[in-house]
Amino acid sequence: MLKILVCVKQVPDVDLVKMDPETGNLIRTGVPTLTNPLDLNALEAAVQVKERYGGVITLITMGPPTAESTLREGLAVGGDNAILITGRPFGGADTLSTSYTIVKAAEMKGSFDLIFCGKESLDGATGQMASQLAERFDAALISCCFSIDKISGGKIRATRTLETGREIVEATLPCLITVEKDNFYGRLPSLKAYLASKTAEITMYSENDIDGLDHEKIGVPGSGTIVPRIYPPELPEPGQIIRTGSSRSDVGTLLALLTEKGSI
Amino acid sequence: MAAYNKITPEIAAQLMAVVGEKRFFEGAEIDPNYGHDEMPIYGRHLPEAAVDVETTEEVSEIMKICSANRIPVTCRGAGTGLVGGCVPLAGGLVLCTRRMNRILGYDMDNLVVRLQPGVLLKDLAADALSHGLMYPPDPGEKTATVGGNISTNAGGMRAVKYGVTRDYVLALTVVLADGRVIELGKSVCKTSSGYSLLHLMIGSEGTLGIITEMTLKLIPNPICDVSCLVPFRDVESCIRCVPKIKMANLDPQSIEFMDADIVTSSAAFTGNPIFPETVNNEDVGASVLVTFVGSDEDELDQKMIRLGKIAEEAGALDVLVVATTSNKKAAWSARSSFLTAIEADTKLIDEMDVVVPVDKIPAFLIYIRRLGEEIGIRIRNFGHAGDGNLHIYCCSNALEEGEFKRRVKIIMDKAYSKCAELEGQVSGEHSIGHAKMVYLKESVGEDVFQLMGEIKKVFDPDGILNPGKVCDESLVG
Repeated sequence: MLKILVCVKQVPDVDLVKMDPETGNLIRTGVPTLTNPLDLNALEAAVQVKERYGGVITLITMGPPTAESTLREGLAVGGDNAILITGRPFGGADTLSTSYTIVKAAEMKGSFDLIFCGKESLDGATGQMASQLAERFDAALISCCFSIDKISGGKIRATRTLETGREIVEATLPCLITVEKDNFYGRLPSLKAYLASKTAEITMYSENDIDGLDHEKIGVPGSGTIVPRIYPPELPEPGQIIRTGSSRSDVGTLLALLTEKGSI
Repeated sequence: MAAYNKITPEIAAQLMAVVGEKRFFEGAEIDPNYGHDEMPIYGRHLPEAAVDVETTEEVSEIMKICSANRIPVTCRGAGTGLVGGCVPLAGGLVLCTRRMNRILGYDMDNLVVRLQPGVLLKDLAADALSHGLMYPPDPGEKTATVGGNISTNAGGMRAVKYGVTRDYVLALTVVLADGRVIELGKSVCKTSSGYSLLHLMIGSEGTLGIITEMTLKLIPNPICDVSCLVPFRDVESCIRCVPKIKMANLDPQSIEFMDADIVTSSAAFTGNPIFPETVNNEDVGASVLVTFVGSDEDELDQKMIRLGKIAEEAGALDVLVVATTSNKKAAWSARSSFLTAIEADTKLIDEMDVVVPVDKIPAFLIYIRRLGEEIGIRIRNFGHAGDGNLHIYCCSNALEEGEFKRRVKIIMDKAYSKCAELEGQVSGEHSIGHAKMVYLKESVGEDVFQLMGEIKKVFDPDGILNPGKVCDESLVG
């Protein structure tokens, strides 16, 4: 029976997030949240592995109490149990302290054969978590996984998507995997699982519940990076829209402009 | 054929004086798209001139000129129609409302909005939502103009719960063929005040007058919603489930039908296979997507539980829940792309938009599929299972156009006869245009068709408004 860990994250719907032009801060108040889409692809990959080889899927996330809904979403589509790491001391964490915290909390449930992660998050988009987690779990890392071809004898064989083609790799378990979405579109939950997920028990960890947690390595103190300022990119000069009233005259004006600039 | 006059340089100068040089187009300046709608198989006909109008006054002046000179006028919105309704069969002038796209204001006490006809459906929906309101009609083509929706009495996915466009039109400003401006209806919920010319104007496809301003009814936006995909092994068991859902007091907002073929096409087109092709290791033959709205999650959960029991008894493969923001976006984006997905991988296409009693849907679908196989035309379909409105597409990538049209005519003739036999109607929401006029005549009979023609003459004695459409046979033959 494979022990599978899937890391998920609740993110703001970035299409709806605006930036305060004065402070440069992201205005998240009132913005709906969603589960990081690439994490759902990772979860689908884990569920497919569970369906084929058997296993137990543990979902883990760190975030505010509202992140519970992301875990319930995961429980509805194949997760078996879930861990929410929440508390003010964890706030402001970068990937260094987040990966440390996730690993320490996951260790409370023992060891894992497979760990699945989204390639990056919709909000931070650093793409660093997978490699940091692999290092901390002392696990092999298969990124950009296109298909999981075989798991047996403590080994996994998978196909990766490269810029130039595909690569078949084999690794010893434990192994951390990030997936391409092609074969791992998230599924819709069945009504039965959806309703069950609403009342499923979720393990809540505060900073005092995790064995051996070094409080200097979590949240802001444990972060290796600081973000001094966020600002919108400078916009290029706006283009010129030619609208003279008729397409024939528009084309004439365009040709004249291009000729004037020496482009034609 | 009715005797129309050409737009002479003198008449062109008069028209240009109304809208100005930049909004008057002649000859090669005319947007070639003005010669067709989204069903080019019905032919292309360019006008002699086109104007982009901005005000009721401009429309009135234009109509006075065209009426005095017997110039045919075809009103056009976004050109998203499917029956050639906005195609200027007799040439003349195309009067385009795309620049009349302002939302003029909300009356929050009475929940009404005033707007111009060129506002796009998606823009009205988004703007109403920003006021906490919903415009209930929800046709699939979101880039259609609301004026076009009124002219065709468009329906859409939420018709099961809320009704169709007609049910939300309180008042219209209309310019008549001779340029007179009339007001039809008021911002009130009831009326028992003479013949309803308002409702005559709705769905009249620009043949009785030009709509220049609308007052529409809105409702408070539902607090929460959820959809359930109910997959079945086959079409018959899928559709048999629909009356049971309707009878269960669940008050669904929509019940949409999709078969396996359209699901595959849509997944290829959108790149997101949100609707599964297999469930619990069984192939899905057809599904219904049922949407509920409510005031809290518990209410929706209770409705879903009851739906689950009905689905199980009806032999559904499962009930899948579309509850998260991402899944809702993906599901409705896939559902809204059905027609575009068909268009994307089809060279030649024709369509029918019949509406039959809900329990007759399987009979009609089985008939049309067999007919397609017999005649050698690929049939694809989806539709609004909750109200019996089916969108049937005849498709071919291999046939030459002439042969395609010949075969499709055989299918259409037989299918509309079958529709009549099943007590159905020619069009549920796409209207008649010129493409379906012959079938309308067969469906309603000589007496009713003649009455329609006489009504047309009362409003438009010279026949200059959208000639050759709905019941005007003057251009036939």
